[in-house]
Amino acid sequence: MSRQIGFLASALAALALTTAPAFAWEPSKPVEIVVAAGAGGASDQMARMMQAAIQKNNLMKQPMVVSLKGGASGAEALMYMKSSAGDPHRTLIAYSLIYMLPLSAKIPFNWRELTPVSVIALDQFVLWTNAQLPYKTVKEFADAAKTANPPFKMGGTGSKREDHVLTVFLEKKTGAKFAYLPYKSGGEAATQLVGNHTQSNVNNPSENLEVWRAGQVRPLCVFDKERMQYRTKVTDSMSWNDIPTCKDQGVDVQYLMLRAMFLPGKVTPEQTAFYVDLFSKLTRTSEYKEYMEKQALKPVFLAGKDMLKFLEEDDALNRNLMTEAGFVAN
Amino acid sequence: MSKPEVEIVVEDPDPPARDSPAVTSTRTVEVVAALLLLALAVLLGFDNWRTGMSWDSTGPQAGYFPFYLSAILAAACLFGIGKEFLARKQASETFVTRAQLRRVTQVFVPTLLFCVVTQWLGLYVASFLLVAGFMAFVGRIAAWKAVLTALLFSLIMFVTFEIAFDVIMPKGPLEALFGH
Amino acid sequence: MEAFGLLIYGFSVLLTWKTLALMMVGLVLGIFVGVLPGLGGPNGVAILLPLTFTMDPTSAIVMLSCIYWGALFGGAITSILFNIPGEAWSVATTFDGYPMAQQGKAAEALTAAFTSSFIGSLVAVLLITFLAPGIASFALRFGPPEFFAVYLLTFCSFVGLGREEKHKTIISMTLGLLLAGVGMDTVSGQLRMTFGSNELLRGINFLVAVIGLFGISEILLTMEERLALRGHAASISPRVVLKVWKELPRYWATLLRSSAIGCWLGITPGGAIAASFMGYNLAKRFARDKDSFGKGRIEGVFAPETAAHASGTSALLPMLALGIPGSGTAAILLGGLMVWGLNPGPLLFVEHKGFVWGLIASMYLGNVVGLILVLTTVPLFAAVLRVPFSAIAPMIVVSCAIGAYAIQNAMFDIWLMLVFGVVGYAFKKIGIPLAPFTLALVLGNRAEDAFRLSMIGAGGDLRVFWSNALVGSITTLALVLLFWPLISGAMAQMRNAIRRDARLGTK
Repeated sequence: MSRQIGFLASALAALALTTAPAFAWEPSKPVEIVVAAGAGGASDQMARMMQAAIQKNNLMKQPMVVSLKGGASGAEALMYMKSSAGDPHRTLIAYSLIYMLPLSAKIPFNWRELTPVSVIALDQFVLWTNAQLPYKTVKEFADAAKTANPPFKMGGTGSKREDHVLTVFLEKKTGAKFAYLPYKSGGEAATQLVGNHTQSNVNNPSENLEVWRAGQVRPLCVFDKERMQYRTKVTDSMSWNDIPTCKDQGVDVQYLMLRAMFLPGKVTPEQTAFYVDLFSKLTRTSEYKEYMEKQALKPVFLAGKDMLKFLEEDDALNRNLMTEAGFVAN
Repeated sequence: MSKPEVEIVVEDPDPPARDSPAVTSTRTVEVVAALLLLALAVLLGFDNWRTGMSWDSTGPQAGYFPFYLSAILAAACLFGIGKEFLARKQASETFVTRAQLRRVTQVFVPTLLFCVVTQWLGLYVASFLLVAGFMAFVGRIAAWKAVLTALLFSLIMFVTFEIAFDVIMPKGPLEALFGH
Repeated sequence: MEAFGLLIYGFSVLLTWKTLALMMVGLVLGIFVGVLPGLGGPNGVAILLPLTFTMDPTSAIVMLSCIYWGALFGGAITSILFNIPGEAWSVATTFDGYPMAQQGKAAEALTAAFTSSFIGSLVAVLLITFLAPGIASFALRFGPPEFFAVYLLTFCSFVGLGREEKHKTIISMTLGLLLAGVGMDTVSGQLRMTFGSNELLRGINFLVAVIGLFGISEILLTMEERLALRGHAASISPRVVLKVWKELPRYWATLLRSSAIGCWLGITPGGAIAASFMGYNLAKRFARDKDSFGKGRIEGVFAPETAAHASGTSALLPMLALGIPGSGTAAILLGGLMVWGLNPGPLLFVEHKGFVWGLIASMYLGNVVGLILVLTTVPLFAAVLRVPFSAIAPMIVVSCAIGAYAIQNAMFDIWLMLVFGVVGYAFKKIGIPLAPFTLALVLGNRAEDAFRLSMIGAGGDLRVFWSNALVGSITTLALVLLFWPLISGAMAQMRNAIRRDARLGTK
């Protein structure tokens, strides 16, 4: 209860700050951005963009340091944040793993033990296949997958996580069976698809961007209720907007993943307020906007009560998906 | 440049006595180590059996490899114990002499204390205490030299890691006084 | 010339003031740890690794590889002046290097050592430069079965070819594989062997183990011995350098032979130690006056140093390309790569081009700068040895603790390091080899994951490891190596039988 009061206070403080530029609190040493994944993954790229944008626009006096803690499928980062209670110089760049990991691996972690600061973007998922394979639509792909023996291989990041969940729902909706291969990173899933060791993957746009531009993979559909808004050509013939939704292609699976910033537990409302302000300024920089377009992310900004509401709903949604997929450890 | 005489000489203040009696034989240590590893193998084997050690439809389960590795480890340990047992009539080499053990303890105990102190007072204070104490008591170096060296060393480490390279170490109340 | 273009690109990544400054710092630190007793290459690199954690991977690897080159150069100083080989692969350098120093030719011996190290490395780097571009396209042919086959090959070659007692090698390797499995299992997403501990969740970090096994245990072992040393001082004048360089062309055959041996043993996991001895022995065999070896012959310095450094450098190629460390230090660098979040292996050449080519470019630059640096500063570094061990020992302990802590910011790791220190001390004294343990700890998880991904993909069919020529030949080779003692025994028997038959026939 007292924490929620803390949030109200921080939201109010954030409002107050837009008129008064002087901060009640400021970082006194370099701020760590903790990444719960390996180098070159979507979280790492985003952290590096934030680091550059904040430095270039002088949004903060102290520098930002990216620290990669992708060990134990990202659990390392979560436990690290949990044990840093009261330290306002550490921020976590979180994604759906904060809901899923405690369910699948029984890790003693709950995102409510951290301090939510803001949601800064939503990430898409796209169904990709190797460009040398003949499948141009989801239907052709699914029909081939249904009769394939041995079954089609689907690459993804980690086990019993977002990629795996999407695969299970894809199986349920199409009736095809996939052999899901859990790789250590989205980058690995991408190169393994290019090398024809898997037939498909469900990577985020950013993870497959380079190989798509090189013409080595083909996007089949995006797991959202509407198409992506970016109309600038990425390859010779296609923009992100040209990728149809999976629903239009007859496979009604939707999933968006949060990209959100958290502080450790037990920080003061002044400290939270500083970061809410920092990240809200960040989302207004040109670096952030360019990044959103290039990596095809959905720009959003939620803080305070709105964010808490979003997190609770998102948590319930993810819990349902995980339960339905049979990934909750007992 | 071409001076053949020895120019750099470092002496040991108290070298280990050559005729010191043996504390234990290599064979004894080998058997004890094998027994400890055997116990570890049994413990890990049990845990992996609990995790699941069979081969299901998608290949081996999480505990499959570790379970059989524990079994191999246990077998290798038993083999080692058996081999030493059969050779028990032959003389074994000395594992460590009393004088050597004393000197090893001289480093090991301070190192252990250093770890304990690091937990309470932070790494830099502990490092000052370790360097100064070791130089003065084990190396028999003049106290002022020991303290000065230790102070300089700890300061250089602090500046290098905390300030120049942003590598954060465990710190205690002393650093907190200076706002770190 | 694809290689040339990529190399230029590598230099462009490298040539900033910041990177150049880091190179210098790395080299100086490297020579320093190379000279200190009880440290040396792998330990020095492991302990200094945390300095690089907040850097971007390219700067980090440049600094770290410079520490490595520095340590290699530094090792030669103690071998020649003090008859103390800083590294196992410097042992052969002492055979002729120390007698030269005794005869007052320390400066010549040092110049010869540094120059031949430089030549050895250069040949190896050239080899890497021309092989590397091919790897990127070759890389895409590697799926899970291929990776597993390569790991299997590495493990099998250790068990089959190791000279230690077999059961001790097996104990060491299975223990490493088991500890590698602690923590989260990537394939199933399950926790295992953590016993509910949050500290064990992260798994047992390879670098923490190495710092304990080699750093702390080395201090304990060093303390057991008498800590006195005496040696020669030397400073190098340009006149001596030129004199030695003028003699170089006369030894072209030795240099070439040693480089070739070194490169070959570096790429196959033979290692720098074997390379230095082979280089020395072959130089001796081919020489006309064999007796002058061991009495201060300059060729006896050229041969092992060239081979050791060619091998030490080329060991980085399998590390980058396949994720298999060809030497102890390469294993540490591999651990570093993982800490920076990079996945070593063929995909590195596709995903992180700037990193790979920056590293290759830094090998050229680092060796040139290192050679100049070491030639000008020998007396300074030799003086480091005047510092009493009782001052150096606690400082090394502190550095080890910093290194262990910084990897995951965990106090638990300092305790773990201490435990591994004691384990390393005991293992070394009872003859359990540590190399298979470290190899297993660093590759264990990757090998298991590769195997299980292969099984998922193939529906549990083991024939996937013979499903194409590439994977099939690697797997077969691995099994041959594993059973090599049996196979060679059987072959010897067969040969005897044939000989007997032949004898019977002639009767």
